[in-house]
Amino acid sequence: MKIVGIPGSNANHSYNRMLLEYMSKAYEHDMTVVDVRNIPLFNESAKETPAAIKEMSDAIEAADAVVIACPETDHSVPSSLKSIIEWLSYQLHPFTNKPVLLVGASTDAQGSSRAQVDLRDVMISPGVNARVFQKEDFFMSFAQNLFDENGDITDPSTIKFLDKCLRDFECFAIANDEEVKMEEEALAKAEKEAAK
Amino acid sequence: MKFVAIVGTNADFSYNRILLHFMKKHFWRMADIEIAEIKDLPAFSKDVPFDQTTPVWKLKQQINAADGVIFATPEYDHAVPAALKSAMEWLSYKSAVLHGKPAMIVGVSYGRQASARAQQQMRKMLLSPDCNANLLSGNEVLIGNAAKVFSKDGRLIDQACVDNLEKCFTNFVEYAELFKNASRGEQLMSAKRPMIEDAYVNFPTGRLSLREIQAIFNTIPFEIDLIDATDRFAYYSDKPNREHIRNVNQLGETYSECHPPKAVPAVKAIIDSFKNGTKDVVARPLTMNGHRVLIRYYALRDVDGHYLGTIEFTGSVDDILNLAENGAWSADATSSASHGHAAPAPAAEPAPAMDATTGASEDSNDEPSTPSEPAAPVMSAATERAEQAESDANTGASEAADDPEETDADAMTGASEN
Repeated sequence: MKIVGIPGSNANHSYNRMLLEYMSKAYEHDMTVVDVRNIPLFNESAKETPAAIKEMSDAIEAADAVVIACPETDHSVPSSLKSIIEWLSYQLHPFTNKPVLLVGASTDAQGSSRAQVDLRDVMISPGVNARVFQKEDFFMSFAQNLFDENGDITDPSTIKFLDKCLRDFECFAIANDEEVKMEEEALAKAEKEAAK
Repeated sequence: MKFVAIVGTNADFSYNRILLHFMKKHFWRMADIEIAEIKDLPAFSKDVPFDQTTPVWKLKQQINAADGVIFATPEYDHAVPAALKSAMEWLSYKSAVLHGKPAMIVGVSYGRQASARAQQQMRKMLLSPDCNANLLSGNEVLIGNAAKVFSKDGRLIDQACVDNLEKCFTNFVEYAELFKNASRGEQLMSAKRPMIEDAYVNFPTGRLSLREIQAIFNTIPFEIDLIDATDRFAYYSDKPNREHIRNVNQLGETYSECHPPKAVPAVKAIIDSFKNGTKDVVARPLTMNGHRVLIRYYALRDVDGHYLGTIEFTGSVDDILNLAENGAWSADATSSASHGHAAPAPAAEPAPAMDATTGASEDSNDEPSTPSEPAAPVMSAATERAEQAESDANTGASEAADDPEETDADAMTGASEN
């Protein structure tokens, strides 16, 4: 499966980026983690979509699925991530019908759970229209204790649960493709009927 | 009542901006609403260099000086726009500027939802521990169908919307008043009338009442700001027409909080040099508010030389320079050399008053070792220190001019930042 990983933090040090980088290293999926550190803040008065956003949009279009690793600030989605989603739901819409897995890490007990709930709302809003996997919640708490110096996750139960999330998500992505196909066919048929 | 109203978008056109401008006009009798834009703030990141955060500092200063904050939020993708979220992150990351600050949320949208979901998120954010604002509960200002309810010239013309806005805003003013009366700032302002009015301080050279001390600090033609030994802004003299406008809410801030970020390294250098004893005074002449101003930073030390803080001594020197340019001292020189000691006085001041002042200072200078005055050695030490300060002052000024790394004097004092 071809996956684009989007870290939700623009900070130089981010456990959420480390989580995605670990996933791209540890699993056989073809996973690319995009760099979000120099993306300008979304502005609806901007005439041109930034080149980095266009590249990201192309990568998402070409991918089978997206994994977003979301930190939490002030109990909600960080502006750096929200800004990217705003860019990608304005002139471009690469998330349409795309299977998305939300994960998140934090240095306290919550594991960015509140931000992920908000992020789910954002991802399924009509302008974004992604297909968000909701069978499992991946909330990585006390992330500072779970990585070694190579960025590898050291805790076996975390790895085991991550394995399960990714496996279930892959099944969801496959089923989603079928569902989208069926829905498109049904829509085309309904439109034909309506036109008569 | 003074409020800051934050436009929750960086877009060129925004009905939320229009709403705030409408509120500013509509409620001018009830409150002074200052509109703040967020479009100049850098995108939030923990890694933005400190010296690039001046717009953030300005916004925090505005909020600090206000009795409450109004947030107008649009809604993007069922949530708060990234630009507003970024501003919220700046205001809550390593900052307590919103702590306890009365806050109100309003919002406009083209559709019927009126940014309800974004407003809900704003409520959650403002109540989170890092923001910790005193959020006005209830009182929802949800204005939908923006294109219909606003006139072309930016007035809210839907009567039901106006009624609701008036009700909610009135509640907010009442709510903010509760905190204003209880606020620390208000208590501090009670210093205008000292609680213990009959207390005296015995100086080695005489006795002053608290009222007299306060009156003296407020009357001398220089304003005084004190950064105490813990690096916090502890005091400013309540002189009328100050060059630097200060606010009681700034008291207690560290010097890095109360100066613009780009000036902080220069301030730190001065304070460090005072602490380690390499300097006692730094002078900065500059033009400010249209006249010539001299700022001097003095190390405040006790009689044993221990560092007590830094005082910033600021005043317009136009009067003095005019006197000098009009030959005030050349005339004096012919009549009496002792006038060289005279404290600067306005040109219109009658001569006897000048003489009286001169006489007093002559006495203390001419008889420093009178046995009946135990304070005399201290006085003469103080005089020496002042003289030392004079020469250091010049050194300090020229160093500042030679050093390209030094932040310019204007930025340092915040004058140009207002």
